[in-house]
Amino acid sequence: MTQLLDVRGLGVSYRMGRTWLRALREFTLQVDAGQIVGIVGESGSGKSTAALALMHYLSANGRIDGGDLRFLGEDMLAMDAADLRRLWARHIKLVPQNAGAALNPSIKVGRQVAEALKAAEGIADERADQQVIESFRDVNLVDPAQVAKRYPHELSGGMQQRVAIAMALMCQPDLLILDEPTTGLDVTTEAVILDLLRALISGRGAGVLYITHNLGVVAQLCQRVVVLYAGEIMEEAPVAQLFASPRHPYTLGLLSSLPKAGQRKARSRLQTIHGNPPDLRSVGAGCVYADRCPLTIEICRRQKPPLEEVEPGRLARCFRWADVEFPAARLAPIHEAAQAEAGVAGQMVMQTSQLARHFSVPRDLVDMLRGRSPKPIRAVDGVNLRLRHGQTLGLVGESGSGKTTLARIVIGLEARSGGKLELFGADIPGDLRSRQQDLLSQVQMVFQNPQNSLNPYRSVRQTLCRPLVKLRGLSAKAAEHQAMQLLEAVNLRADYADRYPDELSGGEKQRVAIARAFASQPSLVICDEPVSALDVSVQSAVLNLLADLQDEHGSACLFISHNLSVVGYLADVIAVMYLGQIVEVASVDALFRAPSHPYTEALLAAIPAPDPSQHSERILLSDDLPSAQDLPSGCRFHTRCPRNIGEICGRDEPPWRETGSGQGIRCHIPLDELAVLQAGAP
Amino acid sequence: MHVTPAQSLSSSISRNLAGIGRALRALFSGPQSALGTALVAFFFILALFGGQLAPYPKANDQSHDARVSPTLDIGSLQLGAHPFGTDRLGRDVYSRVILGASSIFRIAGLGTLISVVLGSALGMTMGYRGGWLDELLGRVIDALLAIPALLLALVMVGIIRNLDFEINSWQAALADEVTLLVIAILYIPVVARVARSAALDIKTREFVAAAEIRGESSAYIVFREILPSAIPALVVEASLRFSYAIFLVASLGFLGFGSPPPSPDWGLMVNENRGGFYRLTPWALEFPALAIALLVIGVNLMSDGIRRAVQKGGA
Repeated sequence: MTQLLDVRGLGVSYRMGRTWLRALREFTLQVDAGQIVGIVGESGSGKSTAALALMHYLSANGRIDGGDLRFLGEDMLAMDAADLRRLWARHIKLVPQNAGAALNPSIKVGRQVAEALKAAEGIADERADQQVIESFRDVNLVDPAQVAKRYPHELSGGMQQRVAIAMALMCQPDLLILDEPTTGLDVTTEAVILDLLRALISGRGAGVLYITHNLGVVAQLCQRVVVLYAGEIMEEAPVAQLFASPRHPYTLGLLSSLPKAGQRKARSRLQTIHGNPPDLRSVGAGCVYADRCPLTIEICRRQKPPLEEVEPGRLARCFRWADVEFPAARLAPIHEAAQAEAGVAGQMVMQTSQLARHFSVPRDLVDMLRGRSPKPIRAVDGVNLRLRHGQTLGLVGESGSGKTTLARIVIGLEARSGGKLELFGADIPGDLRSRQQDLLSQVQMVFQNPQNSLNPYRSVRQTLCRPLVKLRGLSAKAAEHQAMQLLEAVNLRADYADRYPDELSGGEKQRVAIARAFASQPSLVICDEPVSALDVSVQSAVLNLLADLQDEHGSACLFISHNLSVVGYLADVIAVMYLGQIVEVASVDALFRAPSHPYTEALLAAIPAPDPSQHSERILLSDDLPSAQDLPSGCRFHTRCPRNIGEICGRDEPPWRETGSGQGIRCHIPLDELAVLQAGAP
Repeated sequence: MHVTPAQSLSSSISRNLAGIGRALRALFSGPQSALGTALVAFFFILALFGGQLAPYPKANDQSHDARVSPTLDIGSLQLGAHPFGTDRLGRDVYSRVILGASSIFRIAGLGTLISVVLGSALGMTMGYRGGWLDELLGRVIDALLAIPALLLALVMVGIIRNLDFEINSWQAALADEVTLLVIAILYIPVVARVARSAALDIKTREFVAAAEIRGESSAYIVFREILPSAIPALVVEASLRFSYAIFLVASLGFLGFGSPPPSPDWGLMVNENRGGFYRLTPWALEFPALAIALLVIGVNLMSDGIRRAVQKGGA
């Protein structure tokens, strides 16, 4: 097998003002033809830097510190710009993270792709166009000739990514570098793209570098994995061995902090990696992971461990690799009290009936002349949900399904256009300004993006004191005291009180935001994707914190996420939302069992399991989510449904069927038939 | 560890001081913005201490020989009796240029300050509240911005000058400060538009939603939550407005709509000494014109530097 890429001891620095930040150190990697190598790392680990450095394509403030970079035996560091450009045109291709931003918005996608082809091959226009359409067909774009005539903004995210992949694959490159190509796409779209990649790659014998933060994707796609942390390789191993028996404490920490199937907050807390990734400016002499490692001994802080071969074909950078062992299902103690509470019919906290939010679309001139008004966007359309005291309701669905709009209606940030909302047994006005202060303090929210959820000009203390003063009516002094207790409750040291948001990491910001939400001792906390912007290693600690605080305050929680495994860990009941409607409501245990709505089934199957031995048979959803302005007739899911039973699905609105045990499904297929179908599914 | 409010206050003050220090360092880090800032600082010192620095501190002191040539000797740095010469009425041009700095800084500075304060409040409220209020005021602002600034200024000056004033009434005071007032009114819509777009952006951030679900009042949200994040944009706009204001003050002075004749207004001095008088005493025109040019260039370079410093700082 030919060795494509051979990197040894590569280092990359970026200029920050007057100093150089060493973003990548001693990077060593070999990629053979036909091999898929994964690079996993959290944000700031240097994985994108590695991708660019391997192409010898760094931004103006970057430089290569040293090392050796060879492509097919040729020294890339010695090449001039023209040589490199030839190399990029023919042999090494990059699929960027955000295809939408990488495509030129003012050129039709067909022409853009043809240009890349012409640059590489120097062929005539008509032949290029022909090949572009071929390549679009290869990446399963429906109606490729039509797609080629569109501008990037007229394509959905998944389609844009396919165009980018087509562009990279068309010249038959030897090496393909994919930088987080599915991050930012929905899990259903991601599944389709991953399947496509697997099929395309296996047929061509190209070497592939797949860069991601998602361990599940790596497990399902790659053959070898490199784990990056703070700019250094921690471990490199074949994928099966890495997931079965990690040899570096960091890998072990990452793997054990993922919520496993069937793991529930009532039974155990998630394993966590304590602390935060180090600041690259202050990387010392010792191991970069020493501060967070449970196995740290004295030498780890003094001396950097070498990247040594621990088994044939496996490398690890750890003095104590021999002591790293998977704990045999070491589950933290059971919270019996909490378990007893869940499921018991408590007081009703939230009840919605036929809740709706339609956004009207402004009329354009043509509509005005014809005297028509365009159809409204039905973001939320007839939602019935119930949430009891102490319960957690998980709300899942693709982006655009109306989850966030629903949450904003409940909290009062969004007016509703129809239906009823009851909180704590009383009918609630839609307008936030007409809600009583008492009610405001009872319902609080944790937002998705920690960057934006704290005011950058307020210290942590000011942020925490304000709700205490405003909603609980405490004096300044009492609020001060209480704020310190809140900080302690979210596991932040007291000196964090005087920090400002720009001095906090993402996980710490989210802790402060959670503390702020719990400051008024609310009975209902709405969490809108609270961990989706966080790295894996800090995610589990935040989830644990939410579970702990909820237990302590007995608050109910409406938890929104696109990540079913996270919801499965935290929620008691899960509601699945599709195009503004609830298609299924079920207890967590029931949801992961048949029967379930065909959409839920597809969502569940789309999750890439972080375990290479576990290949779920994917149910691939065709196309993208239809527009909420132009909803499909009949069952809204019928256009993509893998279990479509024919005419009735496109004609009649499906009934809401309930099993005895509180599970409900919106589908034409009777529940017992669904159960049979899904049990028999391959 | 328990921290008292006083400590917290001092930490917030030191944070702000550190910010100002950083900003100043950023301003002096580039040669252009350093030059601009130095020029502005130089004229600002003239404005503050002009009375002490000018050899003849009376603006209309006509006791000297008329039409004396400049006695400035750059080689030996000797100023001489009349470094910039005297004009046709026997007034020392050097003293008048120095004395003129104060009025231009006062009028342009105060006018800018008023327009920034009122414009920000207006624009932020419009941006945050939205709806019909924003729609209505937005149209008014658009209409005002469609009229050329100088034309609008001339019309306003004309109207105010023609009002009947009683001596010592507040309207009479208004007449003296008419240029200042014109600048303030002229720039309020410009600043408001910038503040509005800043507020539109900031109000979508989630800390504003967090304040709303806490039941905060609109005023609290606009001034305590949104305003701090808008300040960088407003500072840049203020520095830009200031440079335009200086230009406008000089223009109005030149057109004869500024301060009345005996006053040492730079624009007025240029006007008084042009035409036939330019051949007699060119220096009486050239030095005030040079002062205007230097100050405008200085403020422009400085505001460029401020914009870059703010953008680099992010937030």
